[in-house]
Amino acid sequence: MPFITLERILAHTSFFLLFFVTFIYWGKFLYINIKPITILGEISMKIACFFITTFLLIRWSSSGHFPLSNLYESSMFLSWSFTLIHLILENKSKNTWLGIITAPSAMLTHGFATLSLPKEMQESVFLVPALQSHWLMMHVTMMMLSYSTLLCGSLLAITILIITLTKQKNLPILTSYFNFPFNSFIFKNLLQPMENEILSYKTQKVFSFINFRKWQLIKELDNWSYRVISLGFPLLTIGILSGAVWANEAWGSYWNWDPKETWALITWLIFAIYLHTRMIKGWQGKKPAIIASLGFFIVWICYLGVNLLGKGLHSYGWLI
Amino acid sequence: MASVVKWHVPPASGVSGLGRRLSSDFSSVGREAQLNFLSCRGCNHLLPRVSAAAKGNVRQKQNRSSNSSEPKIKSPVIVAPGPISAPSLTELSSEDEVQSAVDSSVSAQNLESRRLSSSQSSSSGGGPSWNLTPRSVGRRVLRELSSLQLAIGELFAIAGLSALGTIIEQNEAPQFYFESYPEDKPLFGFLTWRTILDFDLNHIYSSWYYLGLLLLLAASLMACTSTRQLPLVKVARRWSFMKSTSSYKKLQISDTLEKAKLSDLATLLMAEGFEVFARGPALYAFRGLAGRYAPIGVHLALLLIMAGATLSAIGGYHGTVMVPQGLSFQIGDVLQPNGILATPSPVMNLQIHIDKFYIDYRPTGEVSQFHSDLSVATRKEQVYKKSIAVNDPLRYDGLTMYQTDWAISAVQVRIDGSDPVNLVMAALEKGDKKLYGTFLPLGEEGLAKAKGISILARDLQSVVFYDQEGKFVGVRRPGSGRPIEVDGTSIVVDDVIGSSGLELKMDPGVPVVYAGFGILMLTTCISYLSHSQIWALQEGTNLVVGGKSNRAKVEFEIELNKILDLVPELTNFENENVLVSASNSGVTIARSPSATNNFTEKAEKQPVD
Repeated sequence: MPFITLERILAHTSFFLLFFVTFIYWGKFLYINIKPITILGEISMKIACFFITTFLLIRWSSSGHFPLSNLYESSMFLSWSFTLIHLILENKSKNTWLGIITAPSAMLTHGFATLSLPKEMQESVFLVPALQSHWLMMHVTMMMLSYSTLLCGSLLAITILIITLTKQKNLPILTSYFNFPFNSFIFKNLLQPMENEILSYKTQKVFSFINFRKWQLIKELDNWSYRVISLGFPLLTIGILSGAVWANEAWGSYWNWDPKETWALITWLIFAIYLHTRMIKGWQGKKPAIIASLGFFIVWICYLGVNLLGKGLHSYGWLI
Repeated sequence: MASVVKWHVPPASGVSGLGRRLSSDFSSVGREAQLNFLSCRGCNHLLPRVSAAAKGNVRQKQNRSSNSSEPKIKSPVIVAPGPISAPSLTELSSEDEVQSAVDSSVSAQNLESRRLSSSQSSSSGGGPSWNLTPRSVGRRVLRELSSLQLAIGELFAIAGLSALGTIIEQNEAPQFYFESYPEDKPLFGFLTWRTILDFDLNHIYSSWYYLGLLLLLAASLMACTSTRQLPLVKVARRWSFMKSTSSYKKLQISDTLEKAKLSDLATLLMAEGFEVFARGPALYAFRGLAGRYAPIGVHLALLLIMAGATLSAIGGYHGTVMVPQGLSFQIGDVLQPNGILATPSPVMNLQIHIDKFYIDYRPTGEVSQFHSDLSVATRKEQVYKKSIAVNDPLRYDGLTMYQTDWAISAVQVRIDGSDPVNLVMAALEKGDKKLYGTFLPLGEEGLAKAKGISILARDLQSVVFYDQEGKFVGVRRPGSGRPIEVDGTSIVVDDVIGSSGLELKMDPGVPVVYAGFGILMLTTCISYLSHSQIWALQEGTNLVVGGKSNRAKVEFEIELNKILDLVPELTNFENENVLVSASNSGVTIARSPSATNNFTEKAEKQPVD
């Protein structure tokens, strides 16, 4: 079958591309930061995204159903959505450091699918009767997109936590890399006494440049994690609700307290808490970041952990 | 306490006496400014200030800042009084109050609590003690319920209990818990069957505390919507102008442009999709008001879903039935009421006939789909007919029927060329691994000594035969017509007759829940929109600008910064008179189009430096 060969080639090439992109973004961050390498990273990411897209499309056409029916396909889709989020955000925000988070995420989910799953599980399987519905496309796509968006946002929040907990001496490497577009509003802010809760300054009078860069970095990360999570939340809502409508078609009830459903609800609740603390309480920085990083683990439980229980209605294609 | 807002005009009636939309007055300026704007956009510079300065006729600014606390040095203002003819305008303190209320609902709560305390003190004669009238108690309860801490606590508690429900097996027989959670080996040191049964942990999602939490959450949602969200919307709807420079400093972003004109800013803001209102020397613009309304919709949708779920839980019927192909049943015999609100329906008198049950197989032998051909009939006639499958239920007059299970009811055989006989099959294994069997006795001995042929089937595709010694003889496909010889008996398998497992449901809650789903999907998406507001005030040749946004704050700062960079710089001070007279008139600062053209021409001819 030429299709299977092509699929395999695309899967492996895209994995190596993602590996390369991760290498570039981290290398750029730690060692050299020159323009050609940045461009190379961007282009490689685009090619990787294109390859995974083609891979999924080929699989769709050869199997005849939307390629989201087992763990392998959903991990590949997750990897694809990470690359997509990367391209969208990088295009929108013009920041050059986002790949530090998205590239390894895409690579690891891709690697999990192509390297760690046994060959039998990578094969395309027929859809069981319960999955034969047009809702498959809507529900699973939305869920996977929301998982990747929320994971991306909460990883940014975890980065905030790491930076705030890092000792001062390690900071120059961190902060010298993040060359943000100079924002005069932000610059003006630093002349004020820092009453911001993001950072507690021991010496408010002596203003250190490193502290400013750190503050600037945290502000940037904080803003992006908030924006990305508040994009993922509507996606999660649509995903859960379309799943409920589908369940009412297939299983006879829109809510069954199935473990997967329950954990999706828990994810929804946690990120609802996150958004409320930000929007209503106006929290910034560390405190909401703690909630978001809790959300990171909950998304993983919802996506993979629940399947380990091996029960419930969502038990499609697990390792055991 | 000063009154909150003195005058307000709803945005819909923008072109009324007090405020007017700046659509026609600045159209000529608009073209000019928009051109500048577009050309600047094209550069796509990260530093709009540089590109803007390079344009020459666009002003160069200093002191661009947000939250700047240091006093700015202003160029001498010739005349900058408030409009004299205007009705007494909002006082500073009250205006601040409104703005801070818009800012966050925390301050709205302050406002609320202040109102509460004032009403309490007035009713109790100024004493600090609590006045326990039902009204004040009700208000206090409402306030407590609407607190965010409580709501977050509720959400965490619901999340935690839900998680616990996925760890402990739910709705099993007591025997299961006795075996899985023995008292001598408690899980995590405390979890035994006794704890589980005592605290209803075997059915968390229907336990009194879980339902109580959901009820509390619903109460919190209602309290929050009524005491926080709705007042906030009222405040947001008042498009209030800010007339004092000190109140601008409290905004998220504030700035003073020297030698700038309000009308230019208005045009730029309109080009960016803002709704712009102006009155005298003041301007107010907003965008994305829907983002302010949407969270109310989110809360209402959640309440609707909860109400619908309650209706489902107490007001419906459900039931399951396994019916062999060719037989019928009456709907009313199968349905059980869910709760006290379940009301009988005429549908229950109808009969369902299973015309056919069949399974589609793939070439590889896997199940592709289950089908049941059903007909709905009264005692006299057939009224409806549908072939159902998994994911494709039958819906008739409030009743929904799902294909959920199947079984083998009988095998139809011909023994030694006889007429077809149905041998009833019994389930030998239950669950997903189905196995059905039947027994064909041979000879005339009594049952105790009976020996005969065992016939087994796992699905509708093949039948397996074992002889009286228990040895495997062979496999036959139903309908193949090939006889099989077992212990001297010739058997032909004509058919394997299946039973259709159906789930029946009458759920009056579904439309309500679905309405909630629809609203929730829509409003969570709209909530993503930022409600951005911009105020501006002309003070002589200076333009004081402030703004804030409730979601995308950093993006808004960058965007506003860009817009302000594009405001052209006034170079001819003769125009000051026009500005002053306009602000004195108290109606509009717009001038005739020709004057505006003159101004822009001059501005072009005399670029900055």
